[in-house]
Amino acid sequence: MSRYTAKPLPPTNLPELRQIGKPLRRVDAMGKAVGSTVYAGDFSMHRMLHAKVFRSTQASALIKRLDASKARALPGVVCVLTAADVAHAKLTSDMPGQTGQKQRTGSDVPVLAYERVRFYGEPIALIAAETLEIAERAMRLMDVDYEPLPGVYDPLEAMKPGAPVVTPPDNIVGRWKIRKGNVDAGFAEADLVIENSFRVPHQEHAYLEPEAGVAWIDERGVITIRVSTQVVEHFRSIARAVGVAQNKIRIQGTMVGGGFGGKEDVTVEIYLALLAKHTNRPVRLVYTREESIFGHSKRHPYVIKHRTGVKKSGRITAAEIEIISDSGAYPYLSPYVLLYTAVMSTGPYRVDNLRVNAAAVATNNPYTSAFRGFGGPQACFAYEQQMDAIAARLRMDPLELRKVNYVRTGDTTATGQTIQTAAWLEETATRAMEALGEKTPDHGAIKVGQGFSSYFQSYGRIMWLHDTSQSWVGVEMDGTVTVRAGVPDLGAGQANSLCQIAAEVLGVPLERVSIYCTDSAITPLSGTSTATRQLYMSGNATLMAATNVRKVLLERVSRQFEEVVDNLDLAESRAFVKSNPSRFMELADLAKVCAADGAQLTSLAMFKAPFHDPIDPETGQGPVFPDFTFGSYAVEVAVDTGTGQITVLKAAASHDVGRAINRAAVEGQIAGGGVQGLGYALMEDLIVKDGVILTPSLSEYLIPTCMDFPTTKVIALESGTGVGPFGAKGIGEPSLTPAAPAVASAVADAIGVRIHELPLTAGRVLAAIDGLKK
Amino acid sequence: MLPEFEFLRPHTLPESLAMLADQAPEVVPLAGGTNMIVEMRDGHSSPKRLMDISRLRELRGIRRNDAYIVIGGGTTITELLGHPLIAEHGRALREAAAMLGNPLVRNRATVAGNLANASPAADTAPPLLALGAEVELISTNGARWISLDKFMVGVNKTLIEPNELLASLRWLVPHARSASGFYKIGLRKADACSVINAAAMVVWDESGYCRHARIAIGAAAPRPVRAHAAEAALLGQPLTKDMIDGAAHLAAQVTEPIDDIRGTAAYRRRMAELMVRRLLTRIAECRASRRES
Amino acid sequence: MKPEVVSLNVNGCVHHVALAPNVTLLTALRDLGYTDVKCGCEKGDCGACAVLLKMPGAERAEAVNSCLVLAWQADGAGITTVAGLGTAERPHPLQAAFADAGAIQCGYCSPGFIIAAKALLDRNPHPSEREIREAIEGNLCRCTGYGHIIEAIQIAADKLSAEKGGAQ
Repeated sequence: MSRYTAKPLPPTNLPELRQIGKPLRRVDAMGKAVGSTVYAGDFSMHRMLHAKVFRSTQASALIKRLDASKARALPGVVCVLTAADVAHAKLTSDMPGQTGQKQRTGSDVPVLAYERVRFYGEPIALIAAETLEIAERAMRLMDVDYEPLPGVYDPLEAMKPGAPVVTPPDNIVGRWKIRKGNVDAGFAEADLVIENSFRVPHQEHAYLEPEAGVAWIDERGVITIRVSTQVVEHFRSIARAVGVAQNKIRIQGTMVGGGFGGKEDVTVEIYLALLAKHTNRPVRLVYTREESIFGHSKRHPYVIKHRTGVKKSGRITAAEIEIISDSGAYPYLSPYVLLYTAVMSTGPYRVDNLRVNAAAVATNNPYTSAFRGFGGPQACFAYEQQMDAIAARLRMDPLELRKVNYVRTGDTTATGQTIQTAAWLEETATRAMEALGEKTPDHGAIKVGQGFSSYFQSYGRIMWLHDTSQSWVGVEMDGTVTVRAGVPDLGAGQANSLCQIAAEVLGVPLERVSIYCTDSAITPLSGTSTATRQLYMSGNATLMAATNVRKVLLERVSRQFEEVVDNLDLAESRAFVKSNPSRFMELADLAKVCAADGAQLTSLAMFKAPFHDPIDPETGQGPVFPDFTFGSYAVEVAVDTGTGQITVLKAAASHDVGRAINRAAVEGQIAGGGVQGLGYALMEDLIVKDGVILTPSLSEYLIPTCMDFPTTKVIALESGTGVGPFGAKGIGEPSLTPAAPAVASAVADAIGVRIHELPLTAGRVLAAIDGLKK
Repeated sequence: MLPEFEFLRPHTLPESLAMLADQAPEVVPLAGGTNMIVEMRDGHSSPKRLMDISRLRELRGIRRNDAYIVIGGGTTITELLGHPLIAEHGRALREAAAMLGNPLVRNRATVAGNLANASPAADTAPPLLALGAEVELISTNGARWISLDKFMVGVNKTLIEPNELLASLRWLVPHARSASGFYKIGLRKADACSVINAAAMVVWDESGYCRHARIAIGAAAPRPVRAHAAEAALLGQPLTKDMIDGAAHLAAQVTEPIDDIRGTAAYRRRMAELMVRRLLTRIAECRASRRES
Repeated sequence: MKPEVVSLNVNGCVHHVALAPNVTLLTALRDLGYTDVKCGCEKGDCGACAVLLKMPGAERAEAVNSCLVLAWQADGAGITTVAGLGTAERPHPLQAAFADAGAIQCGYCSPGFIIAAKALLDRNPHPSEREIREAIEGNLCRCTGYGHIIEAIQIAADKLSAEKGGAQ
């Protein structure tokens, strides 16, 4: 028997749906199973050139001399581009609405470094050659002289006056402040004040598919880039960087072999566009694993300090949180990631008196940007461990402490935003812990512990970014359905969900729905596959479009059958009378009748997220996100106190997903995100020394194999209160957020001492155990 | 992309030896490729000529030859894992084979390749050292047997001459009153390079006193090492907790570990003692349970 | 280092292709159009490039990382890629099980897993969960957390042995 039992759920009365919620075979699944799905690197074109990116081997240096002449002279090399050759092109972010930061969020990143390099692996030149082998030989003929510059590799050092300047004037690339209530009064009221500092490291996305793309100029002079990307809309900043009009760049996104935020920024697109433009031939660029690890962003390392005042009852009276992130060599999305951490820094708890100071700091480390959770997992590691530390000091059960403080619907977040939807924290925590069952007994040197964490994580983008998404739905003359949406599919079933929604609304089996997606020329723009927004935004847009078409169909049938619309329904590719289903019309026939009448069987709909102004720059108060997902994660671990090694014996995840669109996909996301979080907790050690990654391949940077963790027990709950279609919430990022602190909590339960940093290596575990013995 | 090289395809073992005799040291044998191809890709190795020996039947096979278990050098790790002779007479080796790389790699990687590559962390080395294995090096000049102990000299360095092939290995069928085991510490539960590994074999007499022990530790020195002092300390002694503790402590002394991205020297030294203690304890328990049955 | 003609029998189709010795089987296959064989790391760490390789004279095919085999080493060999196991219209039970059990998310690792699973079921038609895990421990997946993959292999194993039983 576990020491917790599941808290009963309130009745939800969710309507029965025919296809929504069922674990139907996804529209993309079979192509992937038989190997016919084409990924970006699988694509070839006639007379295609092969590209390589020549990169800096210094983390902080001046480029004194760059000589590409030998490379250019190599037979078979068609083009070598340096910064001067591309008019010092810059990549600027196209995110509107920046306040509260010290610097523009639109970071100006030189496409190719000129005069100075700021991180190891920074691109300096582009090479295009007839074969990959020639391109690689040309790489070795590039001639560079560097003059090393003092670098800085720790954000705390980089903040000090006199530190080497990576980003002028003072390395601070983002700042946020939150001030709520009266912190000093809150601390004065406290019976106990507890202070702790937590440290979390880089994490590498390690998607199985390295970055890849092919670009060519089509017959109308449009630079077309077929690329593995999370963002179709990058065509705007690509156009600017390359010096062409926005309507002369076309992005054709392929099925992405894993993104997780690592393909959220521009990766290979601009290199491809520049090379295609300069050579007038198709060009392919595929990264090796090492180029991928050196070449793209990482999760932000953070130092987070919590100072919390509590009453003996466990009630939090005040909190002061200091947050510093390592933004690396270029800002990219750092100010936004920092915002997420600040907004979610308290965790899902009522904190009426709060002071948060957050800073993102530039260093010569690899640049950091989006990674599943976007600052949320880092915040969660800190706040959940802090809660456990408080519980230990108060000698309270960790769940009891949380119950005193958990937010409820109607409470406000750190920025004063009212939580509108269900906040099933105790419901998920008790279920996750209950699923672990009785603790496995200790034996020999093995000590067993159980622990859980609760979290909240936003879904949908920051509301002052005025997010929109468009989707087009139409019925063909044979009754099949077509969806067109810009949505990039990262493998989480983004495209399939839209199909399943259209299928439900139009009463057509999923197999008869087809989707065209991710083409900036021909599919309506649906926005980024980031921020756990696609189901919410594009799902709603698709729901709107499909509903518009449904209305037209039902109106026509109602005239045909002389029945009111309320007595009609669509299912199994038919329109029928609910009270007498033997009166029906095949959808194909209905479509033809509508077309003959000139009734429009297609609809393009735009869904808009709520638009708000930015939060107050001094107090951080104001609504930030459309909604939040709540949940919990529990783990049982066995710690070998001799070796320091940790084995996860059991893992359970419980999240309120609002409403599952495809149950198998939801459970898969929950399990997979959790495992990625367990990897972050236990084995993903990106070792960076003086800015150089010492773990540049999957031999050194270890991600979980199937032997590392047991199958997760997934308990997906449906409150139906989400703002997505059918009451859905988002789960893509939330699934990762709570895993690491749950492990840390279980380890602390096992060995009696808490470890405040990740990953929980054997060395750290032994040091903690040794420390306890002393 | 791999560097350029010439590819030689001998059809028989004598043909391969003749090629080595003629063209050494420019020709390098290629078996499973699971180390060699990675080394070439990463720029650590660029042999002028590769000689593919992966199809030479003469280098395969696991058999009992009177008092010895004999394994062809070209035997894959998967073949080791599945063979009853290894299960019965090479338990430590079987345990190591199960933890070497992953099944896709094991289907190609060979025992000779693992030994000749001589990574200090090679997983087959400590068990073979504990079994007292010898390797057979052949060339057009004949054949010679060397104890594995002497064969492995340093980081990626062995006594093999450029004109030689590691054709087979053998060890004496262990006494019925013996047990062996392998221990590996990696940074995840599968497909991990050893942070440190170890193997031990103990032979005992009718009264349960140690007649003979071999203890080998890998990834803690430039080459896998035998803990001779620890072995000597066990001679004639019962496998009690105190004796085991003492031997484990001595075993850790022979290590010269370094700090690297996978672990610190201090951790390795500490684990060396722990692994040997646990291995010897397991062997003692094995002995005890056999006596009871 | 002159290219020589190498004979590769891929999914039943024999290709004679002139290749330099330093070309891996992975590259050779992808250049021949078998882009269902994926490249994830080129050094045997991820299993995405796994194919079934049956060397001349060998009793059975084995699952191997094609990035670690030189195409010249596979001269005359039989190679099966995931596309050779089935089609969308007539999928192999493993392919159908993967598609239906939610074992495929981004899909990039799926060909390698299906190959490793096929090799497992060919030699062990009734694997335990542990045996399934051991057989696929060299295949990395970043999306699924492995649970559905293991389920899918179990479902396919059950289906295949039921089919065999039915045929008798």
